[in-house]
Amino acid sequence: MTAHPAPSSISGRFKAHFDLNNQEFSLAGSVRPQTIDELAPSLGLLKESIESVRGVLYINVRRLAQMNNTAFHAFSRVIIDACRVRPDLRFVVITSSVVGWTTRKFGRLSKIEPGITVEEYDSEFYPGQSFLEEGGFIPILRTQTKMTWRHERSILPRHGMRPGIVMADICCGIGDFAVLVQKEFEPSRIVALDHSKSSLAYARNVASEFDITGIEYTYGDASEMLLDDDQFDLVTCRHSLQIFNRPAQILKELFRICKPGGRVYITNEKNSHCLGEPRGESIRWTYNEVAKLFEHFDMDVELGPKSRRYLADAGFDDIRVEQFMVTNLDGDPKDFADMIAAWEDVYAGDMAVKRGDSSEFIKQFRQGFKDHISAALHPKGYAGWPIWAASGQKPL
Amino acid sequence: MPTKDANAEPSFRTMIQVDMEIVSFLSNWAHCDYISSYLARTISHNRPDSVLFSNLFSSALNELLEVTFRTRHSGGALECRLSRLGETDRIELTFACSREEHTFLEDAIARVQGADRQARYLSSLSGDVAPSRDMMLLELTVNYNATLRLEEVDADTVTIVVDLPLGGLAN
Repeated sequence: MTAHPAPSSISGRFKAHFDLNNQEFSLAGSVRPQTIDELAPSLGLLKESIESVRGVLYINVRRLAQMNNTAFHAFSRVIIDACRVRPDLRFVVITSSVVGWTTRKFGRLSKIEPGITVEEYDSEFYPGQSFLEEGGFIPILRTQTKMTWRHERSILPRHGMRPGIVMADICCGIGDFAVLVQKEFEPSRIVALDHSKSSLAYARNVASEFDITGIEYTYGDASEMLLDDDQFDLVTCRHSLQIFNRPAQILKELFRICKPGGRVYITNEKNSHCLGEPRGESIRWTYNEVAKLFEHFDMDVELGPKSRRYLADAGFDDIRVEQFMVTNLDGDPKDFADMIAAWEDVYAGDMAVKRGDSSEFIKQFRQGFKDHISAALHPKGYAGWPIWAASGQKPL
Repeated sequence: MPTKDANAEPSFRTMIQVDMEIVSFLSNWAHCDYISSYLARTISHNRPDSVLFSNLFSSALNELLEVTFRTRHSGGALECRLSRLGETDRIELTFACSREEHTFLEDAIARVQGADRQARYLSSLSGDVAPSRDMMLLELTVNYNATLRLEEVDADTVTIVVDLPLGGLAN
């Protein structure tokens, strides 16, 4: 796919790359040269890129964390000159709102040359997940965390959690796990990152209302984080690899920001193993269908037992995997029932409808959830939701 | 009984200060990057989005340090002090410089406050020459809404004072 890779670098912290297939010139890293001479290879590559494309050249600066004015001026100069010489060519600069300065600064160029436009890429990071991030789902996320926490508070110390550590919670959602961790384990610093602005707003509100300090809620894409390498003693990423279409890419980033000797802790489900009695058959059928439904939207909610392989492939050592079952016997069975009802709403509602499922299918699909709820509330019933917790150590 | 001066500037609280010999600072261009990245990260933790803040603050501080690096100095020390009041962070860079440089900085800072700053910034971007120190200071006002002023500490020492209103930003 990369037709014309030609990387160049300044002190290894900056990369320029051209992809002819996508007509995309990309800059990544941090570039703060003293003189433009240091940029000669990258500027040459940009000029070559301009010469070899037709119609439009995409300038991707999504991962360009820093660029001083010396470099900005040099690259802008080449683009502005090209606009004047090649009026047939459009330039589309792709920025990210995660890197705060880029949209405004590159946006100035369109005032000089109308052939230059700027598009902010991350307004729709992961559209498939929007089902799970709407405001109505927030109460159920809180209930889920409350139920899993009963188990995880004793599991986490076996995976590197201890007082005083520096930790990151990636894909923190509404931030409730970070709050529980802070109260229970008192790490010295928690960076909690998510790509959902509404979830982060909720998290910041809760923190402000309850006077919780010490958790840094930050916006970002888990697959391309602005966080520095080798920073954290423990990186957690819960229930999230399973709903990304690129779990290996996320793990690579978790590995990168983890300190050598530190650990990355992940939790994931295997939805088809949700169970309940009575009416076990109906429940089993529905959760098998849940797995297929998520697969349709490029999400693998069967990932739990694959955690060991994913961690090994990402380069981790000392991999530990354990499994726990959240059940209706943990705390109030009504919480369990509420969680299943919310799943039914989203899975048999929005998602199945969007897939184009028939009303007969949806009726049967809903029945399994209803039976799971009945099992949870039945005086002699049992209902379970299995979760795999796994962690690996980044080699020293 | 002491009276309260209604015109007194509210007090900024000092968070961190880095002092180094100017000769040491000038020995390596990368010091601008190291100092700006380190200080930005250090003061970012209690901002609503620490990573966003740190990225923006580092960009602005780096440009100021680069301007300082390119200034002709007459020995002495470089002091870089960061302080905070609400959502505004203040950078104070103090160093010794010649009278000519003092005058240059005074004029440059006066120019960047002008109403035509947007137009001047765009004009400098479309010009052929490499960015000047004027343009670097101008960019701070245009892209970061910074306010700048120059203070004379003594006959041959100045302080560039830059207020950056970045504290409330969050995605």
